[in-house]
Amino acid sequence: MEGIDELGVSLPTLIAQVINFGILFLLLYLVAYRPIMRMFDERSKKIKDSVDQAEYIKEQVARTEEEAEKRIETASKEGQELVARAVKTGEEVRQKAEVGAKAEAEVLIQRARSDIQRERDEAIDDVRKAFADLMVQAAEKVIDRSLDKEAHREIIEKVLEESITFKKK
Amino acid sequence: MAKKGCLGCSFPVLIGVVILLVLAVTGFLAGPIGQSVFKGLNLPDWIGVPRPHPELPAETVFHILGFPVANSLIASWFTMIVLVAGSWAIMRRVSMVPGRLQAAFEYVVGGLYSFCQSVAGEEKGRRFFPVVSTIFLFVMFNAWLGLLPGFGSITAQSHGHVIHLLRPANTDINTPLALALVSFVFVLYFGLKDLRFKFLQQYFNLGPMFKAMGQLFTGKVKAGMGGLFTGFIMFFVSILELLSMFIRIVSFTFRLFGNMTAGEILLLMVVFLVPWVFGVVFYGLELLVGFVQALIFAGLTLVFLTLATTAHSGEGH
Repeated sequence: MEGIDELGVSLPTLIAQVINFGILFLLLYLVAYRPIMRMFDERSKKIKDSVDQAEYIKEQVARTEEEAEKRIETASKEGQELVARAVKTGEEVRQKAEVGAKAEAEVLIQRARSDIQRERDEAIDDVRKAFADLMVQAAEKVIDRSLDKEAHREIIEKVLEESITFKKK
Repeated sequence: MAKKGCLGCSFPVLIGVVILLVLAVTGFLAGPIGQSVFKGLNLPDWIGVPRPHPELPAETVFHILGFPVANSLIASWFTMIVLVAGSWAIMRRVSMVPGRLQAAFEYVVGGLYSFCQSVAGEEKGRRFFPVVSTIFLFVMFNAWLGLLPGFGSITAQSHGHVIHLLRPANTDINTPLALALVSFVFVLYFGLKDLRFKFLQQYFNLGPMFKAMGQLFTGKVKAGMGGLFTGFIMFFVSILELLSMFIRIVSFTFRLFGNMTAGEILLLMVVFLVPWVFGVVFYGLELLVGFVQALIFAGLTLVFLTLATTAHSGEGH
């Protein structure tokens, strides 16, 4: 025991130090370890959560982007279709209009032509009448008597008819 | 940048260096070494440091109800107060986004925590962490606070004797012994809790020997004899393990006690031989020693805890 005494081992102090350690352990557990471990857990949970969330958001964004791209694609396709259809319709309308215009023009020309024909006929008719009258007057003058106007006119008409038919031949 | 001052140092630094040099030289001359080299040099008495008389047993300062309160006990109370008050002050307003103090505290405690987990594994590390961390902090702060001025210099009168009021707790053999016992108890507790009977089996491995005896009695003499031999060896080995458990207490105790006491005596002697600034270097050394010893004590406890809670599969065949 002499050696141990010289080292200073004493039971009361030893017990006191063990108790000290126990107290320190308890107090530090309450004051430091428990809150800090809780906070570590909380923090790591939060970090994990935010990482997960970030991942989720990233995924969502990718999905949305893809969707938007798809939508744009379909929209552009649709647009192209629409334009093509419009062009086609326009072409059709143009063609229809062209055909209509042509027909109308044809009709107009036809009408004009018939008008001209009629005018000409009328003019020729007038001229022929006037000419017959003139001939009658002239004949009256020559014969100095009034001829039967109607009878003469008929003759003249006939002559003229003949001359025309002759001419036409 | 243009160099001002002398010898590449700015003037304030230079003045500091000169003062340090003067102090060192004066200290050297005033100490016993300088006195013996330059005899006849008469310096005033107050410059020197009286010869220290280190004593291993801690002195009792006073008694509470007949219970002797040693100066090392007072020092360890001081350490406890510093630790608890400090961590309380820091953790009182703990927040998710730490401030500077909290970050520093988290660095220390979190470092210990991840150290435990790296050695013992995720789940066990969590369970061992409070013990290991308390041992580490207690040992380290005992050592570091013992370097504060006042330790070993504040004296008190007790029963007509002049005694030191404070003494670094680790330099009283009772503290390392208490810690070693605590470490031993925790190893035992966790080992029994986790492995139950298997834990005890590691230290009293009679099983194979009894099995061999059974074989002998049932007539398998050849197998029984061989089994008896190996069974005896295994029993012997387990007794060695048991012995080593107790030897650990001794080695724990004397490692810490020896290192800390030696450090304390080293500081005393250095300051006695060369008073004043020269000892600062050794204070730095003692800071490192305190940290290393705390790490060793806590780390070994952690390793023993891990070993005690790990089943030795394949043992006992």
